[in-house]
Amino acid sequence: MNIEARNNVRVTGDGPATLVFAHGFGCDQNMWRLVAPAFADRYRVVLFDLVGSGGSDISSYDRAKYESLDGYADDLVDLIDAFGKGPVVFVGHSVSAMIGVLAGLKAPESIAAHVMIGPSPCYIDDGDYVGGFSRDDIVSLLETLDSNYLGWSRAMAPAIMGAPDRPELGAELTNSFCRTDPEIARQFARVTFLSDSRRDLDRRVSPSLILQCTEDIIAPVAVGEYVHRALPRSTLRLIDNVGHCPHLSAPQACIDAMNDFLATVDLRDGR
Amino acid sequence: MAADVPKVDALYADAPCGLIVTEADGCIRHVNRTFCGWTGYEAAELVGAKRIQDLLTVGGRIFHQTHWVPLLRMQGAIAEVKLELRHRGGRTLPIVMNAVSRSHDGHELHELAIFVAEDRHRYERELVREREQAQQLLATYMEAQQALASAEARLRLAMDASEDRARFAEQMVGIVSHDLRNPLTAIKMGMQMLASPTISGEKRERVFVHMEASVERARQLTDDLLDFTQAKIGSGLSVAPKPINVHRVVGEAVHELRMSFFGRRIVHVEEGEGVSSADPHRLTQLLGNLVGNAMAYGSPDHPVTITTRVDAEHFVIEVHNWGTPIAASLLPVLFEPMTRGIEAGGERRSVGLGLFIVKDIMRAHGGRIAVRSDEASGTVFEMVFSRHGERIATG
Repeated sequence: MNIEARNNVRVTGDGPATLVFAHGFGCDQNMWRLVAPAFADRYRVVLFDLVGSGGSDISSYDRAKYESLDGYADDLVDLIDAFGKGPVVFVGHSVSAMIGVLAGLKAPESIAAHVMIGPSPCYIDDGDYVGGFSRDDIVSLLETLDSNYLGWSRAMAPAIMGAPDRPELGAELTNSFCRTDPEIARQFARVTFLSDSRRDLDRRVSPSLILQCTEDIIAPVAVGEYVHRALPRSTLRLIDNVGHCPHLSAPQACIDAMNDFLATVDLRDGR
Repeated sequence: MAADVPKVDALYADAPCGLIVTEADGCIRHVNRTFCGWTGYEAAELVGAKRIQDLLTVGGRIFHQTHWVPLLRMQGAIAEVKLELRHRGGRTLPIVMNAVSRSHDGHELHELAIFVAEDRHRYERELVREREQAQQLLATYMEAQQALASAEARLRLAMDASEDRARFAEQMVGIVSHDLRNPLTAIKMGMQMLASPTISGEKRERVFVHMEASVERARQLTDDLLDFTQAKIGSGLSVAPKPINVHRVVGEAVHELRMSFFGRRIVHVEEGEGVSSADPHRLTQLLGNLVGNAMAYGSPDHPVTITTRVDAEHFVIEVHNWGTPIAASLLPVLFEPMTRGIEAGGERRSVGLGLFIVKDIMRAHGGRIAVRSDEASGTVFEMVFSRHGERIATG
């Protein structure tokens, strides 16, 4: 198995520790373009695409394996093993933050610290727990995905109007953003939004930075606070931002918060 | 003269598509009349008051966050996105949308053009429904295929079994014919001798004894065959249990066996006391088969020992002989019909139905049979019966 091709792994930078960045549902490693370069001067930076997303090897997509977040976590353990040098800090957006938690539990030595951007262990309200969505909401999302059979999944990519303010983006790159196979997108949406990782959040999880946007319908503040309470070794940082992707809309705030956090983490090679 | 082309403002306001300008966070800055007409809102209810995502269904809002916003940030434009808007009255309105992100003096605004897409929506719904139907049909088809495959597998097994049966029957006919020929040949020779006018009285006596033994062998063979047929094809051997003294029944059988195997030692050991329930004729038959085997396969220089043991709940019959142990490869199939070991004399004694019949007699009694065989302790068949005719757990 070639992990590099399977996950479209890109390594830049160098340093005594490795930052591994994982995108969330809906996009690919391009999401990190405004954040990752800020660390390449001091760290080894590893970017990759989850199998089924972006430039990953679609033929590696196995419906049974990716029926739960576990399949993705197994991939991450392999990937860290193959590409991590020195202690590894895992930076996960959205659902990938939980994939990182699962990987950390599977291979306890593999991740020295987590940076979780908009993490949510469970999207659906459950008793006292506020996830932000009712089950009907999630069903509506899955229907939206279903009925966009001709729409989003494929037609998203060819942006026929070009990018008026982004001359630096060539056509080739423009067309490669967030490619998704519609069938895979449906399953990944189901696995993501029906997942419940609340029981995996406890003191076993390595020191963590939770980056929480002030206004985020996908991961509301209450969810960030829940994750913070569940993880004894965690720091919660609010980022003044509307939306679920502060690494795109407020990249400098993310970089600053991450630098503050990395300064507090012991990154001497303990492996 | 051609009519005047309307002013740009009017073109914008009543364009054949909805036009919206929003802040990067989705706050609506401007809408045209067409959009208001389609969605049922007054412009004042939207501008500065709502975000574009507030007008989306929940599914659409999630999609807005996970796809639309990142793509607009990264590539500056998205095209042909299909979504559903919420009309002011609550119903949903399928639309297709293009959007560009443009910087106006350093301030980023998003410009959206939307088209109502009811027909396309209906068409897509139909496609989705048809795809679901196709998937169901495929699932049904796969199920049928699977059922067919498993039926074929069962048929193949049944055919294999019937072929085995046919082969078995042919072999058995061969062996039985062969085994019956020997006593019949002996009987015929005896008759020819008896027909001779010169035969002496003493010789005549001897020939009679031999002929009787041959008839007995032939009868034994046909009895075995009858029992076998009943056990194999019918509902199994029948037994008629009644209260017996096991020591006595076995003792009498041993006495008869001693006469048949003259010159060989057969020892009978009795342990315990009590009346038991069993079919005495079947016990005698069982013992005959096992002792016959012990004679054929066991060491001729050592005694064959039959032990009968009675305790509170059970009675046990053991038949033990010394000599070459039963080959390990033979043990698993020992009680199958037509399994034979290597006989001392090299000549086949029977059709190989004996142990199969023994097993069926045990089954009919609800009892249990086990065999142990090794160089150090010899070969012993142990049969455990309930004294009260109850079934014993096999194990």
